[in-house]
Amino acid sequence: MSGAVGREAVFPTRQSLGLMKNKLKGAEIGHTLLKRKSEALTKRFRDITRRIDEAKQKMGRVMQIAAFSLAEVSYAVGGDIGYQIQESAKQARFRVRAKQENVSGVLLPTFESYTQDGVNDFGLTGLGKGGQQIQRCRETYARAVETLVELASLQTAFLILDEVIKVVNRRVNAIEHVIIPRTENTIKYINSELDELDREEFYRLKKVSGKKQRDVAAADAEILAARQKAAEEQAAHPEAVEKEEKETKDVLGEDEDNDVIF
Amino acid sequence: MAASAATYKDRQFLAVIGDEDSVTGLLLAGIGHVTEPPESQRNFLVVDSKTETSEIERAFQNFTQERKDIAVLLINQHIAERIRHSVDTFTDPFPAVLEIPSKDHPYDPEKDSVLKRVRRLFGE
Amino acid sequence: MEGLFFNINGGYVEGIVRGYRNSLLSGQNYSNLTQCETIDDVKLQLAPSYGDFLSSLPPNPSTSDLAGRMTDKLVSEFKYLIAQSTGSTAKFLEYMTYGYMIDNIALLITGTLHERDTRELLERCHPLGWFETLPVLCVATNIEELYNSVLIETPLAAYFKESLSHQDLDELNIEIVRNTLYKNYLEDFYNFVNTHPDFSGTPTQDVMAQILQFEADRRAINITLNSFGTELSKQERRKLYPEFGQLYPEGSLMLSRAEDVEGVALAVSAVADYKAFFDAVGLSQGGGGLGGMGGGPGDGKSLEDLFYQKEMDMSKLVFTRQFTPAVVYAWMKLKEQEIRNVTWIAECIAQNQKDRIGNFISVF
Repeated sequence: MSGAVGREAVFPTRQSLGLMKNKLKGAEIGHTLLKRKSEALTKRFRDITRRIDEAKQKMGRVMQIAAFSLAEVSYAVGGDIGYQIQESAKQARFRVRAKQENVSGVLLPTFESYTQDGVNDFGLTGLGKGGQQIQRCRETYARAVETLVELASLQTAFLILDEVIKVVNRRVNAIEHVIIPRTENTIKYINSELDELDREEFYRLKKVSGKKQRDVAAADAEILAARQKAAEEQAAHPEAVEKEEKETKDVLGEDEDNDVIF
Repeated sequence: MAASAATYKDRQFLAVIGDEDSVTGLLLAGIGHVTEPPESQRNFLVVDSKTETSEIERAFQNFTQERKDIAVLLINQHIAERIRHSVDTFTDPFPAVLEIPSKDHPYDPEKDSVLKRVRRLFGE
Repeated sequence: MEGLFFNINGGYVEGIVRGYRNSLLSGQNYSNLTQCETIDDVKLQLAPSYGDFLSSLPPNPSTSDLAGRMTDKLVSEFKYLIAQSTGSTAKFLEYMTYGYMIDNIALLITGTLHERDTRELLERCHPLGWFETLPVLCVATNIEELYNSVLIETPLAAYFKESLSHQDLDELNIEIVRNTLYKNYLEDFYNFVNTHPDFSGTPTQDVMAQILQFEADRRAINITLNSFGTELSKQERRKLYPEFGQLYPEGSLMLSRAEDVEGVALAVSAVADYKAFFDAVGLSQGGGGLGGMGGGPGDGKSLEDLFYQKEMDMSKLVFTRQFTPAVVYAWMKLKEQEIRNVTWIAECIAQNQKDRIGNFISVF
């Protein structure tokens, strides 16, 4: 998994480690929040889909009743009123108004039907014959259209929610499967890099201190040998001791220089 | 994705594409609206056996894309069948496209674009 | 006496119509029809009466197609009759078509007002209201031209001339225009059967006067009932009442003043028949069941139904009279009712509403 996800291009420093840790924490919080949102939306969505299913069945029945009332009209009028109706339509009496409903931060529009007062294009239709049936038919159809509008709201909500849920789920998945692993990877990488540096450092220190010990031992041996030699020489030529002591001081001076460098 | 208010606050009419009886009935309910001249446009289209499919297509595009005052488009299912591709590919939330049964063609849930999606989501 | 010379000119037509009458569907036919499961079955049941006209229909035709073909048969039979008739009988038959012409002209007026191509409307015109110069009216592009051509070209000129100007066509609601024309037509028809030397004092005058009076009253009552809650004022409403009939003049006056269903019931209470109707539908008691058809499935008949029933009964009785073209009128009404009945039955079957299927008027 880690191979596919990769890691972010950062310098493995302690500062970026801190950043990454914060980021991981943020991602985890975001993940749980989004997950909850997605669950709330899905619940709503399931509810809506079930209602759509019901409403569509209901619509079938309602429209049938409405169509039947139109049959009553044609029976009573004894002719075709379609053309006249089409021509006399001018102003919509039946209109819809859109409202908003907030579901977990998603604004869902709902349609609300209302009738425009004072608009009546068909008041006199069927004056001589069948007017009462036409009146009844209008009421039946008005009720049918209300059902249709309700269904339209559900359907719009369905489409929007569908889209929103997809987006949210994509985000949830992205966080879960990409951002979190990648951040974790990065942290792991930074940690391992830092460990590596630590180890190198430790090794180097060990090396250095080893070398120092060796140098000290060598110097000690030298001094020891020199002293022996001096003692031997002093035993042989006591006048040369003065000169030998000067040389020894020089060696110590060099050692001090080295100390300063460490 | 949540639609901004501007996209639907002006939408207050219903439109219908249907056979004569459906249109007559819906007009009786009072949904008919003819916009002011000179460009008076009706919000309904009567389709009979002689109506060209291209004309239905044009009306569908007009109601769904061009006009911004339509909130719901009602279309008879058997007419939606004739332009099924357009109906299926139209997935915007506005206007809501609603397939309705007609007198001679009872409602068949199997063909409905939206119901198909509903069914698919439930994995049926 | 009146029968002495009738058969010279009208005997053949009358005979033919009596033959047509026998092909009207009987109660037995209707009960068979109501048993049908599909429109195809209906078609099959209708085959004896409508054979040729239905044969070209596709399987399971729509109810409107079915009704269309049945009307075609009526039209072709009527055309045959009108071709066979002469003299006053021919004139009588022509009068019968004027009612349909009024509808056609109203259609053309509507089309012209909305600047539609009126040629397309010709298909929608009722074939019985077709006259040779009807297509000429389509040439008119504005309402004034149309008005002038109507005056010149149509038999309806007289109905327009006195009561409507071309501005009226523009301004008045088409329904008012239509009903004004219809009122003038009914009055003219009434006048024709009462004063024409061939008809006055004959059974024709007798039965037709009765039928037309009924028609006039029915329109007056309907107009009143349907105008409640609309912008139609009482004065305008009154102008639409035909000036004859059993309700005229006192009843009409009361109708014109009626403000609700009770008022109408009161206005018509002088005539026993209408009072009985109103009592039957319960309009006089509170008026809750306005347009009761379908209010309670099956049992409650509406006023409209009762009027149709009455019309059918009158038409049926016409066949007991001899030597009169009124039988053609009666036959036509019966046939139209039959078409409505069959359409209704077919509609019930097509829409699976069997519980309401009995809501038709069987005459024989």
